[in-house]
Amino acid sequence: MTARHRTTLARRVGLPVAVVALLVFTLFPVYWMVSTALDPKALTRGSDVLPSGLSLEHFEFVFDKGDFGTYLLNSALVGLATIVAAGVLSLFAAIAVARFKFRFRTSVLIMILIVQMVPLEALVIPLFIQMRDYDMLNSLLGLSIVYIALSLPFAIWTLRGFVATVPKEVEEAAYIDGASWPRMFWSVLLPLVAPGLVATSIFAFITAWNEFVFAYTFMKSSDKYTAAVGIYQFFGENSTSWGPVMASSTLVTVPVMIFFVIVHRKLGSGLAAGAVKG
Amino acid sequence: MKDTLVGGGSGAPVRRDPPRPDGAAEAARRRKKLITLTRPWLLLAPSLVVLAGLLLWPLIQVGKLSLQDYEVKFGGGVGTFTGFDHYRDLLTGDLLWQTVLPNTVFFAAACVGLTVALGTLVALLLNRLGPTWRLICSIAILAAWAMPAVTGTYVWIWLFQPQDGMASQIAGSLGLIDPETTNWFTERGPFYAIATLNVIHHGFPFVAITVLAGLMTIPKELYEAGELDGANAWQRFWNITVPTIKPVFLVVTILSTIWDFKVFTQIYLMPGGDGSNPEVYNLGVYSYIEAFAKNDYGAGAAAAVLLTVLLLVITIVYIRTLFRQGEEDL
Repeated sequence: MTARHRTTLARRVGLPVAVVALLVFTLFPVYWMVSTALDPKALTRGSDVLPSGLSLEHFEFVFDKGDFGTYLLNSALVGLATIVAAGVLSLFAAIAVARFKFRFRTSVLIMILIVQMVPLEALVIPLFIQMRDYDMLNSLLGLSIVYIALSLPFAIWTLRGFVATVPKEVEEAAYIDGASWPRMFWSVLLPLVAPGLVATSIFAFITAWNEFVFAYTFMKSSDKYTAAVGIYQFFGENSTSWGPVMASSTLVTVPVMIFFVIVHRKLGSGLAAGAVKG
Repeated sequence: MKDTLVGGGSGAPVRRDPPRPDGAAEAARRRKKLITLTRPWLLLAPSLVVLAGLLLWPLIQVGKLSLQDYEVKFGGGVGTFTGFDHYRDLLTGDLLWQTVLPNTVFFAAACVGLTVALGTLVALLLNRLGPTWRLICSIAILAAWAMPAVTGTYVWIWLFQPQDGMASQIAGSLGLIDPETTNWFTERGPFYAIATLNVIHHGFPFVAITVLAGLMTIPKELYEAGELDGANAWQRFWNITVPTIKPVFLVVTILSTIWDFKVFTQIYLMPGGDGSNPEVYNLGVYSYIEAFAKNDYGAGAAAAVLLTVLLLVITIVYIRTLFRQGEEDL
């Protein structure tokens, strides 16, 4: 057997094996979550790969007994506020750092990079005290403000890449045609950075939707829980009913997955433009 | 780091325009210059205010808090300055050196190494697949990525749950463990192994997709030339792929390091991770427990400062790497 034959054999067997392994590793946890959520006997069953039956009773339970509708609504509201505010603020900032040369521009960019690494656990203590002193604990607005701050550094960084890729000539042409700056912004720049804005909004929304530490620490009454915190109450240290936990997990996860699949192209180019500039 | 960019401001060379006789034009010119100077700052102001108020100011506060004993009295907080007591307690205790720091560092190192290795392998795989299978695999990767940390963690707990978890049942039927008595979560080895699986599952898609973007920029001719010279796949990877997209590897490695040092949710939600089992503390969880479970905000703040300093060192490496990439001016 020549080296060439061995390579083809390895390719013929190796590729499918790798693909199957990848699909199992990535999808099995997702499958297991959904299958447990739909399995009426989720409490008592062992390790069967297929659910013992299909029913929506765990989903009904989390809505009726657990008030999960309120949690999902809270998460959506906080996420929406975060998208809008973080989108507007980061676009302005990205234009400033990508389009204008000014003193301390590099310093500003370095500061943005540094705050991106600040650990949440370091912030949660002082912010908890601050929020308590301003009577903003247990408030969806207070939580949204925190999420806006958390998503800003990455959003500015990503959008900066997009603004930089808009050719300056396009803007200059608009100026020569007599467009004012705001006019240029609305009709030239905004449409061109729209894909970047979409990517940024998704990241901002996901940040808010998934975040646990702040929501868990700040939101004291159960009607203010976000969905990520809402699952926690179905989870008991020793006697967890896995059906409701997995049903609520599914409700939190599936919207994000649908999001990701719809926008995955823009997500890729967003990362490429922002994080890597490849 | 030095601010190297000077433009528009006082440092810019003054252009010698021919003197203008009327003052109105002079005023207009000045106003224009003022706009040029202030416009970027006006655009930046809202973001800077938010970042300063919610990230920078709390960071200063946590530093101050770490030097205090903080007590809640009459609905308000009262801080008593205690100097470096919290740091002394933290740095001289066995818990930090034998449990907290090893857990944090080894866990982060394992997660980063495995995430980058797996992400790179998957990127190489995706790069070889035809369009249909590449799309299928990409969507599977997106699914893993999209799974929130909270729900992902619950699924991994459920899989390894003592007695009825699937992994426990399989290991039991293979005779490896007794599923009735084995609890994977009580010892820090298995506990962190499960946490590592969880973090890799959630973290490798970012690496895979970013590295794939890098791979697609490598000209095919390089590999053809390598093949002609008799280089095997392994040699082609190390001598062509790695050097060509080294910046991509550096960035994903450093970003993963920053993320994996501050893993909190995935540990806190696991059985025993909420502080009931001190064996499995990492720096973030330790800080949180001290502050919110023991109401010792000062001690929690000291641990938080330590974590921040660790991450600051990593971030400096990150920034230096970005700058060294050179050709793109920041």
